[in-house]
Amino acid sequence: MLGLYLAQAVNSGLALGAVYGLMALGFALVYNSSRLINFAQGELLLLGGLVLFSVSQAFQLGPLTALLAAGAFGFALGHLLYASTLGVLLGAQPLRQLMLTVAASLIWQGAAILIWGKNPLKLDQFIALPAFRMGPLFLSANTLTSLALALASVATLSAFLTFTRTGRAIRAVSMNALAARLQGVNPVRAQALSFALSGMLAALAAMAIGPQTMLRYDMGFGLGLKGFVAATLGGYSSLSRVFAGGLALGVIEACLTLSFSADLKETLTYSLLVALLVFSPLERGRREKV
Amino acid sequence: MRRQLAHLGIFLLGLCAVGAFLPGVALLTLNQHLFLALNVLALNFCLGLGGQASMATGAFCGLGAYASVILHALWPQGTLLIVPGVALGVYVLASAVSKPLEKLGEGFLAMATLCLCLIFHNLVLTFSGLTGGSNGMMVPVSPSLPLVGTLTGDRANFFALIALIALGGYLFLALRDSRQGRALMACKDDALAASSCGIDRLSTRALSFGIGGALSAMAGMVLANSTGFISPGQFDLGLSLKTLLFLVIGGPGRLIRPLAAVVALESLIAWFHQLGDATVLAHGLILAIALVAGFWRESGRARLLPR
Repeated sequence: MLGLYLAQAVNSGLALGAVYGLMALGFALVYNSSRLINFAQGELLLLGGLVLFSVSQAFQLGPLTALLAAGAFGFALGHLLYASTLGVLLGAQPLRQLMLTVAASLIWQGAAILIWGKNPLKLDQFIALPAFRMGPLFLSANTLTSLALALASVATLSAFLTFTRTGRAIRAVSMNALAARLQGVNPVRAQALSFALSGMLAALAAMAIGPQTMLRYDMGFGLGLKGFVAATLGGYSSLSRVFAGGLALGVIEACLTLSFSADLKETLTYSLLVALLVFSPLERGRREKV
Repeated sequence: MRRQLAHLGIFLLGLCAVGAFLPGVALLTLNQHLFLALNVLALNFCLGLGGQASMATGAFCGLGAYASVILHALWPQGTLLIVPGVALGVYVLASAVSKPLEKLGEGFLAMATLCLCLIFHNLVLTFSGLTGGSNGMMVPVSPSLPLVGTLTGDRANFFALIALIALGGYLFLALRDSRQGRALMACKDDALAASSCGIDRLSTRALSFGIGGALSAMAGMVLANSTGFISPGQFDLGLSLKTLLFLVIGGPGRLIRPLAAVVALESLIAWFHQLGDATVLAHGLILAIALVAGFWRESGRARLLPR
């Protein structure tokens, strides 16, 4: 019986964890390049998913076209978010920049309500993989699709940041913006690109979560926050660790849901984040800049 | 300080004059704005003086409201002890919470305190036997004070809020001009330099965090009495976010401007409620415009805006 419970927890935990992992990667990208905590990250997922929903209603989308469309919309939305938040307040106090992302989150949520209404919308499963079973371990079709989508995104992002000139420029800005500037890198462009990439990741996360829980106008903030918890769990520095933080958070949450009530699960998750922030070895100087 | 006190007096007298002639429903709305203004003032102790961006306002406010309602139900005549007791309790709790969080920078502190707000919200939902859970709870007994009597009706709550803002404003100015206030501002400007000058950062910032928490708790007590009903939704993350937004728009460390920003922008936002589904979009746009305009005014890009 316990084995079945655990298998169920792992299955649902990995499905959500893959989404948290993608959100956490977006958070980490934006934070590392601009030292900004992006409150509107969840709305990138929401809008990305909703735009894909509308496009899929109008056209028949295959797996590849759906992926390309989600990536392109996410990229454009991320760039738009940058242009309307950090791009407007370059040089402002970090707190004002942070608060503008809160206002942007309200604006985007309001736009979602006006265009798509308040009823939940179910996104089609564009990439259908078969369920997997091996002994007590069971991964449903949704879980397997989410994991495949997330792992492919992490691998592609990792290759982009490692092997391309632009990717290396983003990493250089993350490490030291001033030194990168002296080497001819434009930090503002790198920041804008980080936002756009984080929008792309959020739209792919929407593709993973849309068929599981449906898309609702108020889902963005909670998912964004979980992405932040996962990024903190992963330590912000390495892509694989940040993504693993998301997976770990998903599995921990699923185990807590099975053991306690949903409200207590949330309490324990947020308590874990506070404890992590207070006790984690995250570089102190970095935190004080935020 | 005298000049600032005079400005505060004029601002509050103006509010009293408006409140004296407003009909019931409009006064209730004004009370909601003043409740938010009191929370902004409370947060100003943490952010304006200590440089700590807290999003725990909802938690402290809710703690004050729930504790006051539960204790008044048990002991209806105990207002004189319950109100200061709850405020003191929240002060101690907020000070204790502040110490381990002090080392976090603005953004991470905001996220950590945001989690405290969510933890409080979920705890209220979990312990539904005591708090009523998501259904909320009625306020069975109104506080009563000697000479003043029972605080019932919108007008009594209006004057209670004005009195608390006056008290909070005086405390803010007195603290800012004191030795502790200068230590707080030193911590805000340069934490490392403040430490090397011998300032005990943990204790100094715990003071401002604690006072802010206590003032929020008192705002929660008045809100509970004013609405006659409390539920977790009244003290959720939205309250914390709004409070921080208004303070950033009004300018942390200033006294009158954040209060005026609350009253003016909240009135505008309340007017936009008639837009129905477009309300959230309108809220976001108003707040974004206020934030960008504030930055342009400070940086001198918009010369027509008053600096």
